[in-house]
Amino acid sequence: MKVTLIVGTAKGAFIFRSDESRKSWKMDGPLFRGWGVTAVARDAGGTFLFATASDVYGVAMHKSDDLKEWRQVPEGPAYAEGGDRKLKQIWRIVADKSGYYAGVAEAGLFRSGDGEKWTPVRGLNEHRTSKSWMPGAGGLCAHTILIDPKNTQRIWIGISAVGVFRSDDGGETWQDKNQGVPVILEDKDHCEIGYCVHAMVPDPDNADIIYRQDHRGMFKTTDGGESYTRIETGLPSGFGFPLVIDRNTKALYAVPLESDEYRFAKDGCLCVYRSTDGGDSWSPLADGLPQGNAYVGVLRSAMAVDNLESGGVYFGTTSGDVYASSDGGDYWTALPCRLPRVQCVAAFIEAA
Amino acid sequence: MATMTVELPSVMSWVTRDLNFSLEAETLREALDRIRAHHADVAIHLFDETGGFRPHVLCFWNGTNTRWLDDFDVPLGKRDTLMFMQAVSGG
Repeated sequence: MKVTLIVGTAKGAFIFRSDESRKSWKMDGPLFRGWGVTAVARDAGGTFLFATASDVYGVAMHKSDDLKEWRQVPEGPAYAEGGDRKLKQIWRIVADKSGYYAGVAEAGLFRSGDGEKWTPVRGLNEHRTSKSWMPGAGGLCAHTILIDPKNTQRIWIGISAVGVFRSDDGGETWQDKNQGVPVILEDKDHCEIGYCVHAMVPDPDNADIIYRQDHRGMFKTTDGGESYTRIETGLPSGFGFPLVIDRNTKALYAVPLESDEYRFAKDGCLCVYRSTDGGDSWSPLADGLPQGNAYVGVLRSAMAVDNLESGGVYFGTTSGDVYASSDGGDYWTALPCRLPRVQCVAAFIEAA
Repeated sequence: MATMTVELPSVMSWVTRDLNFSLEAETLREALDRIRAHHADVAIHLFDETGGFRPHVLCFWNGTNTRWLDDFDVPLGKRDTLMFMQAVSGG
């Protein structure tokens, strides 16, 4: 097997390649030099989709079959001219058997049948509460999309400072799903919004079980979002951004940070936390990570797993370091690079 | 009908192979409309949802910043150029 690790940064994407041992890595890039690379996905046919964003030149989506030849998607996600929403970033691309979805800032969801022509999911984008959606520190972003693999009509979306919505009818209608999670900012008109989800991952075998890294703590639902309970035993802080799950072991990985006021590794000690019991308890993983003078953060999309049997886990920091583990997080190594601010990380497996 | 040369910044090489291209138009407004119509891949990076230039995109017509023009209904000459670049603003 070969592993391809894609690291999207504020100034381009970098490609790291290794064999299954993941002992040594060869770096290529930057792709999209000068552009922020904000989301990466690969569809069932093996085609890569990258989202780019520039403060100057706006947002686009690009496709490639080989990570060498690229073309811009002709009708990517876009808000209508003259409307009250602007497209600032594509936060998430999901390529599912039912099609493609993209979550964007300013918050909205777009869908495509072929990845070429994208249309807005109006049921969400024009939700009755949408005029009251307020941005969080990372902007008004729809950053997480989950689709029930056994029923693709069931879709969850996470929007920072707004909350989680679920659709049971393929995106036509959406209901808020935040019961049990504390609100961060109550809205005057809509008490069902004002929740700040940071990341969500589902159990690989049961879409009703969803783990939620929220602004206000770490939570779990076992009923598809109808109710949540806290799962923070062993965590030094409930605050953090990324949350990933290994499909084989179901191990969860998170990077707690020191509160929303500071948003960096507590005491400068960079530490990943792992749960191997469905979130009931968490243990620190620091071997190989800097345990002092590392006042860095890890953004919500900047962590990934490769789902190989000996679980590869990867993350990039706000100061441009990339760390990799090939043993489920027991030991970490820093990849030989110092990159721009890491915005997203994705890992893909190919036959050797 | 005048032939105008359009020049794009190098960062746009991920968008199009043609960082320099020609178009025919009678006026500056028509030239910009033709970019929208025939170079949509480029246009999304120059214009935003307001219909105008993105805030940090500069457009120079024969070296004149088009933001200083009262209107774009100005006739084009035979060898006019339209150069886009990033504003040195912010940061």
